[in-house]
Parts: sequence; C-alpha cells; structure tokens
Amino acid sequence: MNKRLVKFAEQGVFVLAIFILFILLFSDRIVVPLWLQPVGRMHPLFLHFPIVILLLAMLMEAFRFRTKSAENQADASAFYRDFLANLLLVGTLLAGLTVIMGLFLAQEDGYSGQVLFWHKWSGVGIFFASALVYTIRNKAWYTARIARVGALTTIVCLIGAGHYGATLTHGDNFLFAPISNELKPTPVSLDQALVFNDVIQPIFEQKCVSCHNPDKLKGELNLTSIETIQKGGKSGKLLVAGQPAVSLLLQRIHLPSDEKKHMPPLGKSQLTPQEMTLLALWVKGRADFQKRVVDLPPTDSLRFIASALFKPVQAVETFEFDAADAETVKKLNDDYRTVAPLAKESPALAVNLYNRAAYKPEKIDELSAVKEQIVYLNLNKMPVTDATLKQIRQFENLQKLDLNFTDITGKGLAELASLNHLKTLSLAGTKVTFADLQKQIGSFKSLKSLAVWNTTLTTAQITQLQKEHKNIQFIGGFDGAASEPIKLNPPQIKNNSTIFNKTLALQLKHPIRDVQLRFTTDGSEPDSIHSPLFTGKTVLDKPAIIKAKAYKQGWFSSDVATFSFYKGSYLPDSVNLLLPLNPVHQAEGAHTFFDSKLGTFNANSPAWANNWAGFRKNEMALVSEFKKPVSVSSVALRIMIEEETSIFPPGLVEVWGGPSRTQMKRLGTLRPELPAQKSPHELKAITCTFPPQTISYLKIVAYPLKQIPAWHPNKGNTALLLVDEVFIN
Amino acid sequence: MEKEILEHGLHFNRRRFLSRLSLGLGSAALGSLLIPDLFSGNGMDEDGLTVGIPHFAPKAKRVIYLFQNGAPSQQELFDYKPKLREMMGQELPPSVRGTQRLTGMTANQKEFPMVGSFVDFKQYGQSRAWVSDLFPYTAKIVDDLCIVKSMFTEAINHDPALTFLQTGSQQGNRPSMGSWLSYGLGNENKNLPNFTVLLSRGIGNGQGVYSKLWSNGFLDSVHQGVQFSKGEDPVLYLRDPEGMSRQDRRDMLDNLAQLNDLSYQEFGDPEIAAKVKQYEMAYRMQTAVPEVMDLSKEPDDIIKLYGPDCLVPGTFAANCLLARKLSENGVRFVQLYHQGWDQHGNLPFEIAKQAKDVDQASAALVTDLKQRGLLDETLVIWGGEFGRTSYTQGKLTKENYGRDHHPRCFTIWMAGGGIKPGMVYGETDDVGYNIIKDPVHVHDFQATILNQLGLNHEKLIFKHQGRRYRLTDVSGKVIHDILA
Repeated sequence: MNKRLVKFAEQGVFVLAIFILFILLFSDRIVVPLWLQPVGRMHPLFLHFPIVILLLAMLMEAFRFRTKSAENQADASAFYRDFLANLLLVGTLLAGLTVIMGLFLAQEDGYSGQVLFWHKWSGVGIFFASALVYTIRNKAWYTARIARVGALTTIVCLIGAGHYGATLTHGDNFLFAPISNELKPTPVSLDQALVFNDVIQPIFEQKCVSCHNPDKLKGELNLTSIETIQKGGKSGKLLVAGQPAVSLLLQRIHLPSDEKKHMPPLGKSQLTPQEMTLLALWVKGRADFQKRVVDLPPTDSLRFIASALFKPVQAVETFEFDAADAETVKKLNDDYRTVAPLAKESPALAVNLYNRAAYKPEKIDELSAVKEQIVYLNLNKMPVTDATLKQIRQFENLQKLDLNFTDITGKGLAELASLNHLKTLSLAGTKVTFADLQKQIGSFKSLKSLAVWNTTLTTAQITQLQKEHKNIQFIGGFDGAASEPIKLNPPQIKNNSTIFNKTLALQLKHPIRDVQLRFTTDGSEPDSIHSPLFTGKTVLDKPAIIKAKAYKQGWFSSDVATFSFYKGSYLPDSVNLLLPLNPVHQAEGAHTFFDSKLGTFNANSPAWANNWAGFRKNEMALVSEFKKPVSVSSVALRIMIEEETSIFPPGLVEVWGGPSRTQMKRLGTLRPELPAQKSPHELKAITCTFPPQTISYLKIVAYPLKQIPAWHPNKGNTALLLVDEVFIN
Repeated sequence: MEKEILEHGLHFNRRRFLSRLSLGLGSAALGSLLIPDLFSGNGMDEDGLTVGIPHFAPKAKRVIYLFQNGAPSQQELFDYKPKLREMMGQELPPSVRGTQRLTGMTANQKEFPMVGSFVDFKQYGQSRAWVSDLFPYTAKIVDDLCIVKSMFTEAINHDPALTFLQTGSQQGNRPSMGSWLSYGLGNENKNLPNFTVLLSRGIGNGQGVYSKLWSNGFLDSVHQGVQFSKGEDPVLYLRDPEGMSRQDRRDMLDNLAQLNDLSYQEFGDPEIAAKVKQYEMAYRMQTAVPEVMDLSKEPDDIIKLYGPDCLVPGTFAANCLLARKLSENGVRFVQLYHQGWDQHGNLPFEIAKQAKDVDQASAALVTDLKQRGLLDETLVIWGGEFGRTSYTQGKLTKENYGRDHHPRCFTIWMAGGGIKPGMVYGETDDVGYNIIKDPVHVHDFQATILNQLGLNHEKLIFKHQGRRYRLTDVSGKVIHDILA
C-alpha cells in the first residue's frame, strides 16, 4: 500500500481512539444531533466488516512467527507481512468507526441494561486491542507468545461483542429457540387459564417485549413483569384501570400506523384486531392480573374470544392403561369382528361385531386378551343373551355399549353395574322392562345416556325414570303413535305385466304392513265404505281400469292409484310393416306391437323412446297372419297423447281382414277424439269394434293426423303417431 | 402397489438391485429430510388392503352424504332474504354482480330482475335459524344442524361442480371423497364395501350422475364406490345362480384362489391378490347384503319416521333408511344422489315437490341416528353442488320464475360427527349474491370433513405419476369455528 495512505490511516486510528475515549467519558452529557442518528443506525450494517477482517487478521497474526513460512519462502513471507499489516490497519480503522456508530446508537432511547454494557465494552475492547497489536507488532520484544495472546484477546472480544449484539437485536436465545423445548409454552386448558398470564402476557411477549424488556427498555418501558407494567414508562402510566380510552397502552396501539408513536413501530409485526380487542377488554375489566378466564361471566366478550384460544376442557381423552400387543389385536380381527385402536398411538380399542348368522359366544370370550383396552363394544343386532353380559363385565374400561336389538331380557343388567366407566348404554329393541330398569339402573354410577326406545316402556314410564335419575338422559326415541298422522303412499301392482290374453288374477300390493286396499274396476273413485277390499281373489277377464286406494289406522288414506289392464286374445303368427317407421321411433320394428312391452312418457328422449313405434310421413300399415283362422271383433291400439310435443292420436284407423292376403275387406274404422288445448298427457288404448269375423289375415292402417288443429303452435303440420302395443280380440 | 412389483423385479436382477441400492439410500435419506413421516409406517395388512388408522382421535367414524344433485335454490330453502322480495323485479345492480361470468343460459339475457322467494320463512329452535315453509320436518331438527350459508365453489356447471365437490378437481379422474376415506381409514365391516352409492330421482329437472363420481381414480380398485341399485338385486350377481349351492360356490372360489396364487407367485402383481380378496368379500356379501337390505324388520315407528315411501325401493326416503342401515353396519361412506334440483324455470312448482321428496326422510335420518347414539360418530351432510342466482332466468311473472347457476354462494347443512349443532355459519349480502362473512371454499369443506374423521387433509396423500395428490389439492383449511 502507498506509504502516505498508511500514514494517513494510522493517524486516523489515533484520532478515532481519542474520539472514542471522549465519548466514553462524557456519554452522559452528549446529545447526538438528529442528522447524525442515521450514522449511528448504520452500526448493525457496518459491524460485519471489522468482524470478518479482524478475525482473519488476528488468525494470521497468531501464526506470523511460524518458522516455516518465515524462512523457506522469502517472497511469500514478504507478501504475508505486508498484507497482514495492512489488513490489521484496515480492520482496526473499521472497528473504530463501528464503535463510534455503536456509541451514537446507544445514545438513542431504549438501550440500557446488562447486555448493552457487555456489548459496549467488548466492542470498545476490540478496537483498543487491535490498535495496540498494530502499534506494538514490530517491536523487538514482540514474540510469538505475545502475538498469540493479543490475537486471542481480540478474537474473544469479537465473539463476545457479536453475541451480545445479536442478543440486543433479536432477543435472548434467538439461535436455539427453535430447537429448545423449554421455551415452548405448555398448552393450558381453558379451566386453568388466567386472563393475564395466558391471554394478555402472550400478546406482550409476541409483539412488544423484544423492545420493552429490561435490556432494551425502549421508552423506559418494561413489559416483562406485572410490577413494571403497572409502573409504566417515560410517558407515564400505561394503564388506567377500567378506562381503555385514556390508557396510554391503547392510545398508542390505536394511533394510525404511520404516526411515529404508533406501537408496534412500522416494520415490526403488528397487533391483530383480535389482540387489540383483547387488550381493550382487559383494561376495561379493570386490568386484573389474577382472574381466571372461567371466572368471567359466560356472556363476557373477553371470555368468549379467549375461550377459542384454549383447548376445550375435555380435550383428547387420555387412557391410563397400556396398549395391547399389536399382534394380539391383529389376530382378533376376522371377517365378522373388527378390533381397532381409536386413533394412531391410542391404547383404547373399539370392537364391532357383524352378521348375526356368524355370531358365536366365543367371539366375546376371545376378547379377554384385550379386556383392559376395550372402551367401545358394539353388539347391535347380535343374538347375545343375558349370559353374555357376564362376559362383558370383564371389560373394565368399557365406556359405550350398544345392545340395540339383541336378545337380552334386562334381568341381568346388574352385571354391568360394576363397569365404572360405562357412560352410554343402548337397549333399544330389546325385551327390557320398566321393572328391570327401575330396580337396577340406580347402581350404574357413571351412566350418562340410556336408549330404551322400541321397548315395552311407555312414554310415561320413561318420564318417570327420567325423574328418578336426573343424571342419566333417557332416549325414548321417535314415537310414531304420538306424532301427527301422515299420508300413506298409493298402492302398487304386483303383476309382471298388465297385458293378458284370457284372464288375469289382479295383484295389488302396498309396502306398508297391515294396510287395507280398496279398489274399483269401473273407473270411479274408490272410497272406504262402498269400494270392495282387495283380497287377492279378483280375476280380470276383460280390459279394465283399476283405481285403488290404501287405508290404515293412524295414517291418512293414500292418493288414488290408477292401473290400466289390457287384454289381447290373439297373437299373430307373423307380422310385417308395409311402410317405414319414423327414424327416431324404430323400437323393435313390426314386433313392437306384440312384445308386451309398454312405453312411458318422455318419448322424445332416446332413453325412453325404446318401446314406441312412430309414424309421421306415412301411415302405419301392419299386416298380421294367423295360421289358424280366428274370430275377431275388436282391435285396440295403445297410443301416447302429448299435444305439447305434437304427439296426437291418429286421424283415422281402418281395420281390414280376410281369409288371404289378397282377399281382405274393410271390417271397421275409427276416428279417435282429438285432445283439447292444454289437456293432460295420456297413455291410452283406442279401440275399433266391429261385428265378429273369422279371418286369417288382418291389416291395420292408422293415419297420423294430417293437420294439427288451429289452436296449436304447430298447426297445419302432420302430427306424430306413437303406438306401443296392439290388442286383437 | 408399484413398489411391490418393483421389489418383485429386484429378486431377479442383481445389477438393478445394486444400482438402485446406491441411489436408493441417498434418496431415502433425502426423502426423510423432505417428508418427516416417510418412515413412520403406512403398512398393508395381510389382506393386501391398506390398513387405515386415523391420524388422530376422530370425532366421526362414518359419513352419509345426501347429495342434492342439480343445485337446490338456497333462496327458497335456508337463506332468508326479505330484501329480495321487497326489491322484486328491480334490476340487480351491476356492482353486485361485478365481473362474474354467467352461464350460457343467462349470459345473453338483457335484464337481470331480482326475485324474492315465493315461500315464507320462519325461525325455529334455540338457534333461531330461518327455514322455509317447504321444509317443515327439517325445521324441527335445526338444533341438531349446522347450517353453512357461505359455501362457494369454482365451477359454474353441474358436472364440473359436482366432480369438484366429490373429487377435489373439476376434471375428474381423481378419487372420490368416499374412496379417499376408504383409503385413509380402511374397512370397518369386512363384509360390506367401504363406500356405497345410492341413487334416486325427483320429478324436477334432473342432471346426470355418472359412475366417475364414485371412481377410485388412481387409488386401488378396492376403494371404488359400489352402487346399490333399486331392484330386487341391489348388488348385481350376488345371488347364486339357479342350481348352484353355496357350497359349490365356496369350492369354486377355493380352487380359483389356488390358481390365482400360482399367478401371483410367478408375477408378483398385487392386483392378483387384491382380486382374490375381492372375490372373498363378494362371497361374504352374499349373506351380509340381504341382511342389510331387508327392511321388513324395521319397526312401524321407524317407517312412520321416514315416511311411507321409505319402503318403496329407489325413492330418496328408502335410500335414507338404507343409508342408516349401511352406516350402522360399518360402511364408511354412504353417498346418496337425489336428482331433480335444477330449476332454471318453473321453480316454485318444481322445488315444492322436490322439497317434499327429501324433507321428511333427511330429517328422519338425523333423528334416527341420534336415538341410536350414532349421530356422535356419523357425519350427515346435505347439499348441492352450487347455489342459484338472485335474479330470474327467463320471464318473471307473478307466480313463476327460474334461477340460474350461482357458484358464489350456496347453503349446505351438516349434522353430527363432532360438528357444532344448532349453528348457522356464514352470511350472504342482502340480495343473497355475495358472501359477506366466513366464506367456506369447497376445499375447506373437504378438509373439515377429513378432520372430523381423524385425518389430516395435508397428510392423506397418494403418489401418482410423480406427484403427491390430496383430496384438497393444494389448499383448504379446517373450519374450526363449526367444530363442537
């Protein structure tokens, strides 16, 4: 380095030393002007340079007298000497500047205490130690030993100053906090939580204490202890009990965030609205330091908000017994029995048995291996008897036992009274009686809930038991007889098909037990007096429209259900269509009309169109052949009428017949009635009757309606004709 | 599964074994650094089925999801908006609607007149929750319900919204919620499938439900939902064919298992073992399913509770009763779908019938579970895939109007399973268009369900095609405010 520059730097170090001594001596009387404060605040930035440079320089200094490097490599050692000297000088200079900045910064509010003391003096120590080393390192008496002592002292000072500096900035134990367990607060349950210790102080600790602690004391305020909180800081008392509006604490936190006195200062993590509310509520409640959260009235807002912060009182249940051997538990699991821990690492087991047919008493015996661990046992619908209860008694930690719809009688319930942890017992659908329960239930110490619905117990008896045992909740269940009557659903038919050729036994059914079905065959509305009861003996021998209704005591009667039955005496031996079908409604071609498959509404959707044969462009012309001549007097077509979608009955139906294909004459014609505007959709059979005639060939011609009536939006166009079955009688 | 096949390969290939060993140890070490729980064990039991144990003590063991498919209108059922009735016919302020996308069905509509509910509301129970007159039975049990008025979703059409609610993704191909639970918790009753599906259809405008909604996605096929049909054979092919005795069936299965075992020895494919287990389960289901499906032993009070339709197969009421029976028998997840809630038009007429179809049975299910002591451990959920608009779709007349899809807010209710009873959570604005308090995203809802079953939604993962998948994808937080 340039000699002049070195000289200049050495003088700089000297001046700095004087200046530092001056500040140290008169620190009490010095006021750092505002424009100099940024220089002081550059301390945390600047300090990294001297640390690194001095650390390197001092290490080199410590090994400076090693003979090897000094003698064998003269060139290198010359460089080493120069480089080291300059490095030391620069390091010392920077250390001096850092110390001055630090001293400026320390003049600002809020730095005091033990940590600052040690930081300040170790920092000053670095500068003077390194300056001293630099000054004396070329004296004759400066030996390797002295070099090492000097270097070591400086390094110790460096580490000390660094450590205390970091503590000042980041707080105590910043480095190891994430891995040390001590600092993690143990979760408190709600019933133990104190308002101040567990609600308010944690807010201070998270958001305030890094500046307002005994070491940093910004604004002379210390928020780490009750006494110092009550004492307040430079600007006065922090709290006015009961008056959040005039309390300094709340004034400061509610200032606009760009205000200088807003707390926490901009850049630090801010209070959440909930935390601000909690602080305000606490001051309003006279800023008490001793109260428990649960001492507050249940309607108190502070209690309400704070409750959410804690674990509920009955947190995860802990069990005192040890877990069962995993291998044993695994073996107990089979196709009809599951034994499973309540959760990962929980020793408690829940046991369920399934499938009544697969039940054997051994299924319970085998559970002895885990008798201590079973807390839930579900025997719902199993054929267990009173004898089983003796086996169940051994499951000493049982809490919940489901015996719904089992074969127990209730006589042996006392067996279970020794289960001290049993809280829930379900006996619905069993033969348990009022007398059994009255006699025995008192001995169940911790029972909380008992299900007895669907048993012989009456509502009055359950009420009486409830009166006698106030600590148990008796579940009487839904009582159908006491509830308002509701309407039955309509009857259904059981016949596979509503089409028959000679006779058909009418089969009506209803899903509900013991329902009376009344019906009519003449199309009139059934009623509960005049219409016959359905007994299963009715036989139909001609087409009929059955209307049926269901009745039952305690229920409203059902809506009327209507079923159409169709008779088709003769099935032709072969059929064919002379003209094509509408492309959408192909169904099964000519066979559609005699396949006994009825179509439903919604024929325009492909999913429902299956059974409908459709005609629009041309008429339906169906020729049927009978190998044996038959006597025919009527032909019926089952059609759909849905005026909205332009599905109309045919305009004209003609029936032709004769002994051969070429010798047919017209037997009869039919002009069906047209639906009125907005008439309901219908599926019905239209019948063409004529004097009986013996024929071998039959031709049915049905013309789609040529002109849709004038009231229809589609007026004048040809309507669609849909036919799903033809009945020949 | 993949791991097992790999391991099988290692037995035969020394070079592969050695090369993977060096790489394997390194990646295992790195893996444990990235996922702390990597080696804490997620074993398979001897069945080859995943052993599921809850991550922490669960509140609920089972779920019954009464899915109201088609999106029921919250304005007519739970979300009471008197203001909307006052402002009937006025244009919805554009500031309320903002830049929200609309469906193709109303995007071109020139006007957006607001429409209030045609039906009146009253307050019920200690919670003083508002319920519409369409739901007289539900109104009686409000103190057992937690009504969430502030659900919102991302999808605007039925299929994506439904798929999103069920699988956590709009695109499909992911496992359904029931499959995730089956995967995470394992079997309770080994004689019944873990995840069953029941369908019903109301008279209202219906929307499709497809089997992809109960797909196991990339999870093992044992977790797939099993649809119970309404006919005489609820599960197809469960009956022995004529002329075949139960013993013949047993012998056939035993011999088949031996053959399959030979294949397993040779190829080591775990799907073979899984298949054998499924045959065995089907065999046990031959007795278990008829027992569950037999409604003839239900007491009269129960029939009256659910309403007479509960004995008519294929109705919502029957499915509710079956759901209770399946759940009681340890089925983890019973998924009901009731179609017909898509009231774009003719809403007053259709919704009244839809509501009548489901009201009594939904309420009955909660009451029934409660008296059986099962409500504590069974979570019942009722709701659709999104909400409906405050403005009318199509023409507004005095008696008639319709509502379009509305993903920004909708109402669901939950009961039991450790959810706070007698609570109304969340709020929408005066015109029922936007949420103003406590919004609940679909992933939050899913996270909460998993939480109640003792599963941490961030830890219930499955690695597939190089990515770890969750039901809640990459978001979701448990709504602690509604937990009891």
